[in-house]
Amino acid sequence: MTLLFPFEMIRSELEETVGEHFISVKEADKLVYSTDWSWMPQMWLDRGQRLPTPDYIIHPGSAKEIAEILLIANKYRIPVVPWGGGSGTQGGALPLFGGILVDTKRMDKIIEIDEKSLTVTAQAGINGQQLEWALNEKGLTLPHYAASSNCATLGGYLAPRGTGTISTKYGKAEDMFLCMQIVLPTGEIIRTAHVPKHAAGPDWARLWLGAEGTFGIITEATMQVDYLPEARLLRAVLFDNLSNAIEAGRLMMTRRLEPFVIRLYDPESTRSQVKKVLGYEFDGAYMVIGFDGDPDIAALQEKKALEICASLGARDLGREPGEKWWDHRYDFYYPPKSLHLPWMYGTTETVTTYDRIEKLYWAEKKAVEEGFADWNVKFIGHFSHWFHWGVMVYSRFIIEEPPADAQEALQLHNRVWNAAMTAVLENGGMINEHHGVGLKLGRFMRRQYGDAWPFLLRLKQMIDPNGIMNPGKTGF
Amino acid sequence: MDVLPTTEYCRYCLMCRHVCPVGHVTRLETLTPHGWGLTIASVKRGLLTWNDETVDVLYSCADCGLCRANCATDQPLPDAIAAARAEVTAQQLAPAIVYEIGEMLKQYENPYVKQTPEKVTGTGAVALFVGDEAAHRWSEGMSAARRLIQATGVIPIEVGIGRNNGYLASSLGFPETGRILAQATLDELRASGARKLLVLSPGDYFAFNQHLIERLGLTWPEEVELVELTTYLYEHFKAGRLTITPLEDTTSYAYVDPAHAARVPTGRAAARAVLKAVLPSPARELFWRGERAHPAGSAALQFTQPQLADRLTFARLDDTVKSGARVAITEDAGTLYQLNRHAARFGVRVQGLYELLAENIQ
Repeated sequence: MTLLFPFEMIRSELEETVGEHFISVKEADKLVYSTDWSWMPQMWLDRGQRLPTPDYIIHPGSAKEIAEILLIANKYRIPVVPWGGGSGTQGGALPLFGGILVDTKRMDKIIEIDEKSLTVTAQAGINGQQLEWALNEKGLTLPHYAASSNCATLGGYLAPRGTGTISTKYGKAEDMFLCMQIVLPTGEIIRTAHVPKHAAGPDWARLWLGAEGTFGIITEATMQVDYLPEARLLRAVLFDNLSNAIEAGRLMMTRRLEPFVIRLYDPESTRSQVKKVLGYEFDGAYMVIGFDGDPDIAALQEKKALEICASLGARDLGREPGEKWWDHRYDFYYPPKSLHLPWMYGTTETVTTYDRIEKLYWAEKKAVEEGFADWNVKFIGHFSHWFHWGVMVYSRFIIEEPPADAQEALQLHNRVWNAAMTAVLENGGMINEHHGVGLKLGRFMRRQYGDAWPFLLRLKQMIDPNGIMNPGKTGF
Repeated sequence: MDVLPTTEYCRYCLMCRHVCPVGHVTRLETLTPHGWGLTIASVKRGLLTWNDETVDVLYSCADCGLCRANCATDQPLPDAIAAARAEVTAQQLAPAIVYEIGEMLKQYENPYVKQTPEKVTGTGAVALFVGDEAAHRWSEGMSAARRLIQATGVIPIEVGIGRNNGYLASSLGFPETGRILAQATLDELRASGARKLLVLSPGDYFAFNQHLIERLGLTWPEEVELVELTTYLYEHFKAGRLTITPLEDTTSYAYVDPAHAARVPTGRAAARAVLKAVLPSPARELFWRGERAHPAGSAALQFTQPQLADRLTFARLDDTVKSGARVAITEDAGTLYQLNRHAARFGVRVQGLYELLAENIQ
């Protein structure tokens, strides 16, 4: 009861800032906001255990209101957790220490669609798919086709440096970013330069890309958009082995054929996931390739890509298995086709250069499969985001019969992650390519960055002197 | 139907968040399909109990079907929510208004007036389901529908005059009442000898085509063809058996997809096609249309959460204004009633599709 007094004092101040309709302290709301899309809190609730909940759930309507909320949080030294769509898989939006949860979804306006410069400026809380529909009405697209677009927000695209299905041609969300408005932890509202390519000093705007709310809250962003493609050509090929398939992808990228997608499933994923969702029974490594834009150019690019694949022994499966994959590419994420509780699973995705990727893949697979053979662990993966210099592997582990006890299950989960990330780091990989760090991977940040880590800690201290912003995330 | 696995799936799936109308107007995570799934699953795990707060959450779902219509694995979450509401009503934990409406449905077979449905007389090949909304909320549409059907050379036997189709009762958590209401209409239909049942709205189509079977456990008579009136009219129009004189005015119209539009597999193509026949220029389209067509706040929500229902109505009217139209047109009585309550403050006029067509029969 003694805590009720400061709780009520702070609630009154917050209510004065946003209005009574935009603050909730209801238990039902607190439970729903206590979990994001990551396995850890979902498992915890699944086993009937309670999670830390926010004390206040706030729906601000403007950057100014967020600034005032942050001033209140600084005054009382209470945590602030930014919340977009809650679709993160790393626990980045979990209110670990209670405090104020700032749900940005009320800030969902499209401010401008510039059809000459091909940009869109919108508030950060807009739903990704709703933004896409609005752009489609004008023949445009924001080519960040994340599997989470149905639920994620624009701010959530940028804060963890997300990557979408067609990133291989169009880049990561951060590559589409021109500028943004940010509310700093200390309450100042700032804007980055209106164009991203210049030489006016260091590229400080990018500090907020990947900070996952630990450096403040993104409230508005201008993004580069594209015309909807005139043609979208898809087809699939099948390789006998993974090595040749990776080499084919490397050649398509280094020869700049500009595929918008190369989705390569390892033989285990081809046998399990592809069969389960698409119904195909292929033996080998199934690869979907796609080219878009001008129909003549796309057709020529596709022809060249098929020549590369054929030279490496691939069998052309034709258009249907490629088009079917495209039409059902998100079905993998709908239950019961998705991985689901009470199973244990994790996406230990990573990225590195072509010279290291295959070795890394096998090292991670070995570490997980041999280290946790007693649990009948499965290790599957696909290669889905390709760069000129390397590729991301979307590796996953699955344990279908994990411990029933929540604590034991979490301990096992963390041991599997330790083994996987150790293999990744020892083989030149990054601890992830696009899911972000969140709570789950924070403990690996020091090992990831070595001597640079203390510098990042000093940066955090300078930007957020009271440490109120999303504590416990990204290693801070 | 065992709907328990659905909440186990939906509690951690966010893939239909973008289409949920309630989530869109409230921006509250709890009031989304994921939020409802997690709330129900958490009650089952003892993490929450049914109390005023959680029951309020449960009754905030519009039961519009957009989540299921946009689910790649066809999870019947609306049915699971209705099943949870049935548990809550049985435990006497639902809001008082739920029991009041439940009692009206039991006694008078509709939630609007203390008057029992008219008796059905006569037999014929074609029947028309009138229902409660068309009888008590927007009767002009009913008269117009009669004239349109007669213009095709058919005089239908009217069934279910003033009676709810059973959906409202099941949506509130009274599946047994829903079964009694739906069965009463099935009995009238059987007595009429009709082989075709025309319905006025996608809501009625859903109620008999899917809801009756999946949620109420009843059987639709195989020998009877269920047809939406818009589809029936369009077929006659295409065949030249129904002629409509196009309007000459230049008023801008917007077609508002009615409640439950996404629950009808054939969509609203026929409604749009007959509208095209009568308007001098194509109707404007709302942003929230087709597979993402948000409802206007009719059905159970207007009773259980009237303020939330109004927010949905405002959103549809706002959408109409943004489309550049000044007239919102649709065929569903409940949608028309809701829109009309607030249309003036948006500078919008509401027009029934059937009235517009009937006024222009050649």
